[in-house]
Amino acid sequence: MTAAEIRTHIDPMRPEFADQRSLILPALRFAQREKGYLTLDDLEAVAEATDLTPAYVEGVATFYDRLYLRPVGRWVLSVCVTLPCMLRGCDELIDHLCDRLGVPPGGTTEDGLFTLQEAQCLGACDRAPAIQVNAEDMLGPTTPEEADRLLERLREAPAPDAYVR
Amino acid sequence: MPELTLTLRHRRAGAPLRELGDYERAGGYAALKRALANLEADEVLYQLHRSGLRGRGGAGFPMGRKASFLPKDAPLRKYLVCNADESEPGTFKDREIMEMDPFELLEGMALAGYAIGAQRGYIYIRGEYNHHAEVLASAIVQARRGGYLGEEIARSRYSFDITLYRGAGAYICGEETALLESLEGKRGQPRLKPPFPAVAGLYASPTLINNVETLASVPTIIERGADWYAALGTEKSPGTKVFSVSGHVLRPGNYEVVLGETTLRELVFEMAGGLRPGRRFKACWPGGSSVPVLAEQHLDTPLDYESLNAAGTFLGSGGCIVMDDSGCIVRASLRLAHFYRHESCGKCTPCREGTGWLERILQRMVDGEGRMEDLALLEALFGRIGGKCLCALADGAVAPIQSALRLFRDEFVRVVEEGSPRPEPMVEAAVAAGA
Amino acid sequence: MTRRAPRSDYARIDPAAPDAVSFELNGRVVTAPAGTMLVDAAWAHGIEIPIFCYEARIGAPIGACRMCLVAVDGLRGLTTACSTPVAAEMVVRTDTPEVRAAQDGVLELLLANHPLDCPVCDKGGECPLQDRTFRFGPGRSRFIEPKRHFPKPLELSPVIALDRERCIACFRCVRFSQDVAQDRNLAWQERGPRSQIATETGEPYEGRFTGNVIDLCPVGALTSIPYRFIARPWDVFNAPSVCHLCPVGCNTDLSMREGKLMRVTGRPEPNPAVEEGWLCDRGRFAHGGEAADAPARLKRAILREGSPARASDLEAAVVAAAWRLDTAKAPAVLVGPDATVEEAFLAQELAAGPLGGAPLARLGIPGAALAPLRGLAGAQLGELDAADLVAVVGGDPANQQPVVELRVRKARRRGAAVVVAGPRPTALDAVAEVLRTAPGRLAEAMAALGRLLEAAAAPIVLWDEADLAAEPDAAAALARLVAAHPGARQLELAADVNGAGLRALGIPAEGVLEAALEARVDALLCVHADPLTAPGAARWARALDRVATVVAIATHESPITRRAAVALPALSRYEDEGVLVSMAGRAQRLRPGARPADGAAAGWEILAALGHRLGAPVAHRSSREAFEAAASSRLAFTGLSYASLGVSGQVIGPTPAPPPSGAGAPAEPAGEGLALVAMTEMFGDASAWRAGALAAWRTGAAVSLNPAEAGRLGLVGAARVEVASPEGRCVLPLRIDAALPEGGAFVALGAPGSGAEALLPPDRHAVRVTLTAAA
Ligand SMILES: Cc1cc2nc3c(=O)[nH]c(=O)nc-3n(C[C@H](O)[C@H](O)[C@H](O)COP(=O)(O)O)c2cc1C
Ligand code: SF4
Ligand code: FES
Repeated sequence: MTAAEIRTHIDPMRPEFADQRSLILPALRFAQREKGYLTLDDLEAVAEATDLTPAYVEGVATFYDRLYLRPVGRWVLSVCVTLPCMLRGCDELIDHLCDRLGVPPGGTTEDGLFTLQEAQCLGACDRAPAIQVNAEDMLGPTTPEEADRLLERLREAPAPDAYVR
Repeated sequence: MPELTLTLRHRRAGAPLRELGDYERAGGYAALKRALANLEADEVLYQLHRSGLRGRGGAGFPMGRKASFLPKDAPLRKYLVCNADESEPGTFKDREIMEMDPFELLEGMALAGYAIGAQRGYIYIRGEYNHHAEVLASAIVQARRGGYLGEEIARSRYSFDITLYRGAGAYICGEETALLESLEGKRGQPRLKPPFPAVAGLYASPTLINNVETLASVPTIIERGADWYAALGTEKSPGTKVFSVSGHVLRPGNYEVVLGETTLRELVFEMAGGLRPGRRFKACWPGGSSVPVLAEQHLDTPLDYESLNAAGTFLGSGGCIVMDDSGCIVRASLRLAHFYRHESCGKCTPCREGTGWLERILQRMVDGEGRMEDLALLEALFGRIGGKCLCALADGAVAPIQSALRLFRDEFVRVVEEGSPRPEPMVEAAVAAGA
Repeated sequence: MTRRAPRSDYARIDPAAPDAVSFELNGRVVTAPAGTMLVDAAWAHGIEIPIFCYEARIGAPIGACRMCLVAVDGLRGLTTACSTPVAAEMVVRTDTPEVRAAQDGVLELLLANHPLDCPVCDKGGECPLQDRTFRFGPGRSRFIEPKRHFPKPLELSPVIALDRERCIACFRCVRFSQDVAQDRNLAWQERGPRSQIATETGEPYEGRFTGNVIDLCPVGALTSIPYRFIARPWDVFNAPSVCHLCPVGCNTDLSMREGKLMRVTGRPEPNPAVEEGWLCDRGRFAHGGEAADAPARLKRAILREGSPARASDLEAAVVAAAWRLDTAKAPAVLVGPDATVEEAFLAQELAAGPLGGAPLARLGIPGAALAPLRGLAGAQLGELDAADLVAVVGGDPANQQPVVELRVRKARRRGAAVVVAGPRPTALDAVAEVLRTAPGRLAEAMAALGRLLEAAAAPIVLWDEADLAAEPDAAAALARLVAAHPGARQLELAADVNGAGLRALGIPAEGVLEAALEARVDALLCVHADPLTAPGAARWARALDRVATVVAIATHESPITRRAAVALPALSRYEDEGVLVSMAGRAQRLRPGARPADGAAAGWEILAALGHRLGAPVAHRSSREAFEAAASSRLAFTGLSYASLGVSGQVIGPTPAPPPSGAGAPAEPAGEGLALVAMTEMFGDASAWRAGALAAWRTGAAVSLNPAEAGRLGLVGAARVEVASPEGRCVLPLRIDAALPEGGAFVALGAPGSGAEALLPPDRHAVRVTLTAAA
């Protein structure tokens, strides 16, 4: 994404922040929508749009789990692995998904469709074990059968217009 | 009836209140209109003070008192920040409020903003709550259109607007000063205190930070009166609180109860549907995962700040994680240690290095490679991490594990000797039971 | 020369300050100014509270490492002493069992993942972590897990290596980059135990002050690549000295082993009035070019009795030189801008005595119009900390007097307003209100500057010697503004390293060139002076055509040593003693940090020997004696001695000023075309070009133009242009730079061999240049 595109997104927000550095997260999140992850060029574009150095931007971006600095799949499956979900079978769910997708946690399938990742508590413990696809609302409780149906549905689904993660 | 639905207003209405009209019909914005028409800012502040409302984000600090710490005549702008980072394991109450009662939060923020003299509020919402952010964003637009946000709101002379700011996945950003750093465009690492946010918070200006549930409780207080609210619950724990129940219960979910009038047993066994048949209660982290764990002998503890303190734990965020006798306490502790290691911001030495060390010791134990001296080592580490750091994350990492070792020492010993087998998963059983 | 003392990280405080309060420290009632941090107060009273992240110079404490926990009555748990200000009646204990346990605990955790490679680590022996572990730490480690491991040290930049395993996350280096130097090219990345310092992926750490992070690192994570594995602290001796590469006069610490200078670092005891412990990367890394065996050093005396030239031993060369000067009818002496006070003083004695009153001048800017400014209340750099307005008028301190940039940024952080006036875009623009003036029109900025000064209570004006010498009207106006403000002070951004010292000795900048041009000089003694590479080089070249004999005393080979009948090799500034006077008037001592190069002698010694050969009585047997003689005969140095200068120097007395002249009238630039704006790049001069360590950052000569200007001149696409002024001409690479204003030709000076100096007149009077595309 270019600095100019990022500016069109963040410029309207400028008056809402006394210090323009606050725009860095909105800019990073926006830049990530294009490919679903951030390249070094994206980070440089964010740096340019926010008047910060690329090193600084990279330092901020790497702090957050949901900003990806390496390519990820079209669908990022975040399986919560924190205690409440563990008590309700997330370990089995992860094992099942690894099996089905043929990748370890953190891996991306060869066709680039899926990235499977372990997430920390998603705030969906009432739906444990919970799973989130990109940043859509959390799903659950997810049995292995439901997980299979989810994969089917996603395989068929068209790519989203913008990757919100 | 110990269950009393005040903050989870949509439950009273029987439907989500995501449209401004629905919210108004359910009595919404009456409090704001009345306050702006009839009350001085000081009087609203006084009502908050008098209600005794305590912060629902975890620390339980009285909201009115915190608000009164903001300097009265500072030349600087003042800010109100809503902490919607809700990342404490086992906690999902703010999610329901934002999803179902977004206007209640916005109204509460306008009232709190008025009380402290802030012109702008920020809602810092965790990055993973995308759907909820969209609901809030739509509510903000509707509220602006309805004259409840923006210039001279509710036909008064008071102007107040709200910016929705989205995090990107970091538990530590729920810690109030880390949240401010993140909102300022920096890495979300906690700040040294003092100065406290009330004096130098966002952009070094006086700032009031409160949790979603805290702020969403405000309209009810202003509407029904501080005295009415304070009369609910106990003297030190007035009002209602939403508990999120999760883990090995049949009906996980949010339950709003009058503080002090419900016991842990009632919450777990009556409201949340109890355990699977044949299972016994074993442990419960009653206030999110960062609090000391309770065991069976604590089941009759009333749910309020003082009683839980007396039982050796905290009410915390009200995220009540329940484990039955199929669960292994060492494995559970390991899972929590993993969480805190993953989420440590890395600023303080004891937290950065210590959480990882805890995790590795527990991992060895679970893998059957524990040593008896590891128990003493764990205890030594608790002392080297707990109370030694800048923010409470590290204390939160120590508390559940330290208490587990104290309450379930025999099980730790057994795991050292035999390792810990993986338990049978609950999800299918729960689904079968119609959870 | 001493063994290196452990770097002291505590801020100096005055326990007896008027605002001191008393409090209890380990049962003793002690005093410290209210508000000083407990760690510093305790240190002043002989109690060490161990620290890692705290560094008063970087900014407000961050309380991250948790090493400094102490017990304060009335506060729950333990408190970080680095961030707790002293208050009256406070009761503090640093020695309770809980405190000991906390210190021990933090160290055990820090060491859990720290490699045990001290024997091969460059920091071993001078490592705060090693040191503090010894005094406060665990006797044993209970960590049995595999340690964090990174494959190999990274090259963070051509001069800095990063060993990630050793990093203890004190954040000092990152805060230096973000808050002090503000290059912001070093950042903290990732989160929690995975986190580490890093640059932008794939990019080196770039900046002008990067080497300071090596000094700041409390472990061996950041080390100097030129210094890596070269020496162990225990076979190194250290000497406090002063940097001779620009007129700021940063205090340095020289480390030497077996007679070789191994590295230059900031002082363990910083000089708060000058550099505050920081160095620029030139001052830190350029010393390799002055090593005894460096290619550019003048290693043997050269005699050119007719041709061909031949190497000679120094004795014989001095005899030959003396004979040349003795037989000259009209000798003269030229002293270079970085000659020491001692050398210049001996040159004066030589000229006045044995050479029979020969004319003597310094190679520098006459600056008659600057006298009124120089006469106004002066400030030390350290006083910028208390200024509420810092005005930079002309020049480009970030490149020319680099550490000034850090001090101005610090003033800004502390709340001062900063204004930068001048034609050049500078690094300080980012933190300043910029009053951009047309080339040669500094006077345009005076009205706005006057308004800003008026609004300030304690402003300090930094003014550029060369720019204001060229613009007498601006100099006069600025002097009036500063004089009219009761709280204002001024500080000269000098062009010459020891210009202030030479002026204080009473050495004029005029006389010799004029005489030589009129063929009234037949022998010229150049003392660390190379007029052929200085501004005015073209005129000097014409003058030297009329001088029969040149005798040069020099450290390096240069056009003048190649032109000299006798070239005498002098010791470098790292091998010799002497005094340099900084632009703020501080006399500071150079001290040897390397064994004298074979075949060379100290400059003062060569001068004394020449005097002796020429029949003068031997008056001074050491540079110390030479300095004392100068002090007893030159008013500005009255009362000073090596002893009184100590390690951090003394401000000299007022320099007798010649009556001001030429003030007021705008100086019309000579010639036609675009106004020439002289530029200096930090890594663009001979010292940077000689240093292998700086090879990656060197910049060459060039003329830069605004694109519109280049278009008007039909130079778009030209790679090289011929630049001509009324003084001289040269061919330079052309750069186009949209950041530059129109109306000027921005010529980078200093690069060896570029000839750009020939464009300028020796007095720095403004000139215009014409540009034509060169083949
Ligand atoms: C590690 C850590 C995480 C926290 N996370 C949250 C959170 O997600 N939401 C929240 O409201 N408070 C959280 N807190 C508590 C806040 O720091 C703060 O006390 C709270 O936002 C104040 O609001 P309240 O007074 O309304 O509770 C957290 C604290 C710590 C130490
Ligand atoms: S306790 Fe942990 S999370 Fe909190 S500031 Fe320190 S390192 Fe960061
Ligand atoms: S020196 Fe105080 S916390 Fe690091």
